[in-house]
Amino acid sequence: MIVSPVPVSPKRKTSPDILTESVGRAGALRLEYARRNGRTIIARSHCTTPWHLLPPIYLDETGAAYTLLVNPSGGLVGGDRLSIDMRLGGDTHVLISAPSANRVYRSQGEVSIQDIKITLGAGAVLEWLPEHTIPFAGSRFRQSIHATLESGATILLWDAVASGRIARNERWAFASLENEIRITTAAGHSLVERYALDPATDLGSVGLAAEWDYVASLFVINDTVTPEVWSRLEARIGLLLDEQTGSLLGGVSQPAAPGVAVKVLARTAPDLTGALDALWAAVRAELWNLPPVAWRKY
Amino acid sequence: MKTRGLLEGLRFTDTFFPSGGYAFSSGLEAAVQGGAVKDSDQLARYVEDLLRGGMSRREAIAVKLANRAGAAGTLDPAVQVDRELDSTKLGRESRLASRQMGRQVLKVAADQLRGKTVLTEYRDAVEAGKAPGHLAVSFGLTLGACGWNGEETAAAFLYQTAVGFVSAAMRLTPLGQREGQRVLGEWLPVIDRISREVGTETPMSSWSPIQDIYAMRHGRLEWRLFRS
Repeated sequence: MIVSPVPVSPKRKTSPDILTESVGRAGALRLEYARRNGRTIIARSHCTTPWHLLPPIYLDETGAAYTLLVNPSGGLVGGDRLSIDMRLGGDTHVLISAPSANRVYRSQGEVSIQDIKITLGAGAVLEWLPEHTIPFAGSRFRQSIHATLESGATILLWDAVASGRIARNERWAFASLENEIRITTAAGHSLVERYALDPATDLGSVGLAAEWDYVASLFVINDTVTPEVWSRLEARIGLLLDEQTGSLLGGVSQPAAPGVAVKVLARTAPDLTGALDALWAAVRAELWNLPPVAWRKY
Repeated sequence: MKTRGLLEGLRFTDTFFPSGGYAFSSGLEAAVQGGAVKDSDQLARYVEDLLRGGMSRREAIAVKLANRAGAAGTLDPAVQVDRELDSTKLGRESRLASRQMGRQVLKVAADQLRGKTVLTEYRDAVEAGKAPGHLAVSFGLTLGACGWNGEETAAAFLYQTAVGFVSAAMRLTPLGQREGQRVLGEWLPVIDRISREVGTETPMSSWSPIQDIYAMRHGRLEWRLFRS
């Protein structure tokens, strides 16, 4: 569903630069999680259009709060500026997903922006597994995900992008796509993935990766897990990726921050989903001895 | 550029320089074994794609920033870009290879380029663990201190990288010397464009998922000639 841009009301609380420059929506979602009686709950929340907040769901006995990021408009138009500010209190456990892919619609000139800020308290666990982004032909998208971890916190962060609306043979036809992921531990170690694609230019072209239709990253970071555990997880994921041939190309290594980094290229959405399920199960088994969670999206 | 500065800088770009670069293939060995690079045309495309998408807005920017720091004799900007570069290098082998080669450059540069205090200070910072000492930064600092400008230094860095790929490809594939020179010549226009066009105002970014994945896969190869 394509939604027309809604002018920002002067009454809406937005920063001054948005009021003067944006013709789109400035939707903010703020979530604060806390641990109560063995379960993770949303202690405080606030959201403005287009975000829609549903109460958390509990999918297993761990008390982990499963939250869907719901944007009923289905995506972003030029000028939209969406933000998420998520704070996980100590020892909370949160699973994040979305009911559908994040569509970024064609824009004549203005960029669609999504800024995500995540703070994890000591011992908190965040499994961030949203659906992939679909940048339509002519779209302009800029996303940032900045996560700060206190000691002992774990983030499992999946981020994937499709080449476009593949069924329409619309591949790598966006106007610009920028993505920045930064994860910082309490000791100041960082993992940064940043790319800026503007296919009309020489240095911003998609290049050889255009042979593929999905590009994804999985990062798992925690500053108190022992190097032996990371090596075991790396080996396990390496084996798993070795088994894939043709429809998937993947690699795993250990980044500058303590943890593992996985890069995956896939030819089809089922290949991508299959890879995510297998990788996610491997991480849960190795780090927490937990089985996979059965998703429930609606 | 003064001839003396040219000669001092050339030493660090020469394959004769003992940086240890001959031991690293930057993932090319995994790409060859994986079937992604079988002939000189595929090699040409693979490396040009890496230079353009993976290194133009990351290593070339780091080199230019470090070059400016080397010319001005200021340490902090170099440390900052060095740490950021370390954070963006997600593959362990590539990250450690870059750090090892960078330290070799710094050791020789700090010992032998007299009067360039920024180089000795940087070597000390790396040895004290305050900076990772990546090759792009060490190289940029050194050539900046020698009087090379940012564009020249970025071009030299990318050229040295390209030569390293040809050298590795000659050991991994049936690529001959003349064919290697032909491929190297094909990359010169893109190296020229990157060196001229990349500015230092934008944050470092990188897009070379295929090459990044092969670099990550290298450590799992059953048999290997190279260390990366």
